[in-house]
Amino acid sequence: MTVLLEMKERLKLIYSKSEVFLIPLMKFLMAFITFNTLNGELGYMTKIDDLRIVLIAALACSFLPVGAIILIAALFSLMHMYALSMEVALVGLCMYLIMYLLFFRFSPKDSLVVVLTPLLCTMKIPYVIPIAVGLLCGPSSAVSVGCGVGVFYLLQTVIDSAPNIRTMGEEDALAKVRMMIDSILANKTMLVIIAAFAVTVLIVYLIRRMPVDYSWTIAMAAGALANVAILLVGDLIYEVNLSVGNVLLGSLLAVVIAKVIEFFRFCVDYGRTERVQFEDDEYYYYVKAVPKMAVTMSTKTVKRINSQRERESAPENRGGAPRQGERPAGRTMNTGRPAAGRNGTPSAGRTQPRNAQRRGGRNVIAADTAEADFSGESENGYEEWQ
Amino acid sequence: MLNEERIILMTRMASYEQNEGRENVKIGNYFRSDYITVQVLKSIVSSAVVFAIMFGLYMLCNFEEFMQKLYRIEDLIAFAVDVLTNFCVIVGGYTVLTYIVFTWRYASAKRSLKKYYHNLKKLNSLYQETR
Repeated sequence: MTVLLEMKERLKLIYSKSEVFLIPLMKFLMAFITFNTLNGELGYMTKIDDLRIVLIAALACSFLPVGAIILIAALFSLMHMYALSMEVALVGLCMYLIMYLLFFRFSPKDSLVVVLTPLLCTMKIPYVIPIAVGLLCGPSSAVSVGCGVGVFYLLQTVIDSAPNIRTMGEEDALAKVRMMIDSILANKTMLVIIAAFAVTVLIVYLIRRMPVDYSWTIAMAAGALANVAILLVGDLIYEVNLSVGNVLLGSLLAVVIAKVIEFFRFCVDYGRTERVQFEDDEYYYYVKAVPKMAVTMSTKTVKRINSQRERESAPENRGGAPRQGERPAGRTMNTGRPAAGRNGTPSAGRTQPRNAQRRGGRNVIAADTAEADFSGESENGYEEWQ
Repeated sequence: MLNEERIILMTRMASYEQNEGRENVKIGNYFRSDYITVQVLKSIVSSAVVFAIMFGLYMLCNFEEFMQKLYRIEDLIAFAVDVLTNFCVIVGGYTVLTYIVFTWRYASAKRSLKKYYHNLKKLNSLYQETR
């Protein structure tokens, strides 16, 4: 565990140092994968199915807000639909407008969820999304997950209907529109998955906010179970032909990924939970404080002692005790110096912190710093009862 | 001299102002009734546009059926009543949902801002102490 915590600290350090480059790079990768997948799955317009265009669009997205990825991806898909048939593009545009006007208003900042949901559905690992969203976002993000699933099944309908649409002539314009709308509305799989994912997001969100120990782990397990149960019940009622093995394996994988997310987002040590009680003029406070797990990184400092300098400096220190902060002479030192904490207050040079524990030869510090919480959520591991 | 507690508080408040605080401050500038009214009006317009899109698609799909109804006044009236009922259900339902969501959002934004202002006061008192 200590090794993992140390690795996490290193990753955080790398991220904070090169955030300026990493965020555009991640946006670029996300956009590139999205546009490439769209071209690979649809690919009806050969003009935009070009690596150079994808690269230019992805580069533009890397400097624009995340919402630009949705806009450009929607444009890409509409152009592909238009190349297939104008009527299909019209239905696609109407669907996007309905989603934008009705649903996207409630959670406009969940662009990433709307992009990631169809992407992971294409990669056959969609069950990660509702659990991860429930852990990291709010309840309104269920709407974004639903929109993402809707987009995936819209594109799937286009792909499935493409051979029939190609055989139809221009005089069958109304038939094409009717076929597309009927296929979308009759898609019971889409409705079952939207319902399952929305309920899962809400269950995970509600449980992880509860003031109980291991709330995140309970939330992800309950979410995965609820997801499987709703999908299986939906399968029985509507006969949507979901593969039970895929659902179970996907849910298992989702829990594993959720554990990784938990490690990076909510790594606390319930064993050292403190319950404190205090009062002010107006209230009594019963506070449960769960310390975060953090590890100090051991930094190696190589100090070369030049024999000439040593001789020069020797008379100065002669007879006196070494000053505070000076290290004894040596070639390589493992100082075990604690790194800067999350709150930016380097603890090097301080005395051993109050809750410091020795674990495996390294310092494990309980970073139980009280955070100013404005959102009402206790993301820092603090639960306030009254 | 540097006051560690003050710096931590200021950093957190600055981070809040730059992220979710920005949206909450915007919401906090409105009176509750004004904010909810604006959101409800936006919802009425957007749901009306959505209804128009859905109606257009329906007409495209069932144009022949509609043309048959056009010649009998009873059928036409029944059709108009159906359309109006659906319009009221969609727009009304969406408006009620919007009212609930944005009322909750306003309340949580106000709560969050209250904590923020409390921290501002605390920061002020920290400055007073050091003087």
